Amino acid sequence: MPSPQAPPAGATALDPTAVRPDIADARVVRTTPGELRAVLDGLRNEGMTMLVDVGGVDYLERVPRYDVVYHLMKITTAPASPAQVGTPERVRVLCGVPGDAPVVPSVAGVWPSADWAEREIFDLYGITFTGHPDLRRIQMPDEWEGHPLRKDYPLRGPARERTPRPSFALKSNVAAGTPASGRTAAALQKQIAQARGRSELHGAADPAAAAQSAKHPGGSATAGEAKPEQLADRPVNLKSKDNTP
Amino acid sequence: MTMSSVAPEAAGYNVDVVEKTDNRMVLSMGPQHPSTHGVLQIVTEIEGEIVTKASPEIGYLHTGIEKSAENLFWSQASTVIERMDYLSPLTNALCYYLAVEKLLAIEQQIPPRAQQVRVLVSELSRIASHCVWLGTGGIDLGALTGFFYCFDLRERILDLFEMSGGARMHPNYIRVGGLAQDLPDGFLGKLDAVIDMYEPRMRDVRRLLQKNPILQDRMIDVGIIEPQDAVAWSLTGPVLRGTGIAYDVRKAFPYCGYENYEFDVPTRTEGDAYARFLVRLDEMDEAMRIVRQVRKELDAPGPWQIPDTKFAPPPKETIALSMEALIHHFKLVSESFRVPPGDVYQAVEGPRGELGYYVVSNGDNRPWRVRTRPPSMYNLQVLKKIALGELIADMVVMIGSLDPVFGEVDR
Repeated sequence: MPSPQAPPAGATALDPTAVRPDIADARVVRTTPGELRAVLDGLRNEGMTMLVDVGGVDYLERVPRYDVVYHLMKITTAPASPAQVGTPERVRVLCGVPGDAPVVPSVAGVWPSADWAEREIFDLYGITFTGHPDLRRIQMPDEWEGHPLRKDYPLRGPARERTPRPSFALKSNVAAGTPASGRTAAALQKQIAQARGRSELHGAADPAAAAQSAKHPGGSATAGEAKPEQLADRPVNLKSKDNTP
Repeated sequence: MTMSSVAPEAAGYNVDVVEKTDNRMVLSMGPQHPSTHGVLQIVTEIEGEIVTKASPEIGYLHTGIEKSAENLFWSQASTVIERMDYLSPLTNALCYYLAVEKLLAIEQQIPPRAQQVRVLVSELSRIASHCVWLGTGGIDLGALTGFFYCFDLRERILDLFEMSGGARMHPNYIRVGGLAQDLPDGFLGKLDAVIDMYEPRMRDVRRLLQKNPILQDRMIDVGIIEPQDAVAWSLTGPVLRGTGIAYDVRKAFPYCGYENYEFDVPTRTEGDAYARFLVRLDEMDEAMRIVRQVRKELDAPGPWQIPDTKFAPPPKETIALSMEALIHHFKLVSESFRVPPGDVYQAVEGPRGELGYYVVSNGDNRPWRVRTRPPSMYNLQVLKKIALGELIADMVVMIGSLDPVFGEVDR
């Protein structure tokens, strides 16, 4: 959890790419989806034979929002000794993709290895690759909702996000001040207020039990004496045993 | 598939399906097939016994490790990252931490002993990982005995990991700025025992498997990859070197002082399953050659992490005595360290090929993005091409020769 003294995250750098000239790990080329094919074809003609990797990054508030990152390497296509291979040249192509129209031309026809990598970006970021031979989800199930590696994707998934969370999860998130799920703090507070309202209603219905639970914050005796039906209709109870401050 | 010997109508079968599909049938292999080395499904179209189309389906082991890593501290992320390639977890952690150290600009300050131990555990991981590949690959082809010989050797290496980091499989021994702790007492003695047992053990294994005529018959000329295809399909590691291209990250982009050690890069030019088999066997010998060289350097004690306690926790015994040490320890545990903004691609030579991490930091105490370049995913993908025209029975040989690990393929 970030320290309260620390500067807010995200405000420091929304585009941290190529800001560190001291790390000379590759030549960096920036491009757009419209020019991507021309750039990659040019690099391929330069001898960048291997597409080492294709990955995606979501910068959320930056314009353009996504980066599709192509790592290329210049390596011989014939049998060669280590001395002949030497230190191959690396190029990193950063293709900025707008958040409202995430469409990129596919390179699976040029480098067959891009097939699964592009499917993975489509699956996890929702970026469409035009001209891809078989664009469908690869890691997540076909009927999955949303794209999990997007920064605004709830950590527990949208389906579970709609159901109430267990009480211990509510409490720890409020204490952290940053809901790891990506939900707003206001929504959390509202849900907690609702949960509190419910538990106070129960307390009013059974004042003796409420008084006893106040006397014994550990709550072991109360839990033992509580009637089963009372426990059953308490979906979220902040005053239960594991949440007593 | 024709059923000529018995009249199918007499047996009560509806033969329409068989006849209409023109001798072609779709066979789904996996994901619960023991010889797919994990949870791989391959939807194959076969004509007789010949594969005419193979589409591997992955994702059955997807655990969202990259997403989890974005939500953990820099120092915590390695715990999930080690679970990607669960046969050589230390290689994953090493690559990730090398990238983080580059972003922190402390990669020049790593003490030599830490570098030596990092090389040691990487090479021991390579031997242990290849032991699993060799043992299970033999089982795929019916050679059960080699499995026990290999796993015994691997078990002794895992004992070493357990001594150093506390756990057999995921020791989390490599940390930012060095190691979690120094090598414990008695480690070097056990390491010597492993070094001594390696050669006779591998001689036995080679006698059992390498010269085995059944294994040779099954592997020679199966799953041939041409060098230009290997580059186009982004193959790395033993699969690429089995086609003759001696690309090895340890030679091309040395890290952790690999340039100080003498070793060769084994290659074969045949490109078939047997060539990959021989390359991996020779690689184990080369790894042991590096281990022997590192072993000679380990007798002299020395610092095993950087002195900067902003990144590496201060020694335990100083925490009770020094206020600053206590504060640093508390800050590291409660909120970790911050990494200056930047992006970096770092590659190491894992047992399966070029393992890469593209790490992006926005200046926070958690990574903004940890993208893995999974070597087994790219290596496995070529199955779509090499399986065409092969026998369906050889599919198992080809999967074994590509050596996929599904924790890494699916992440």
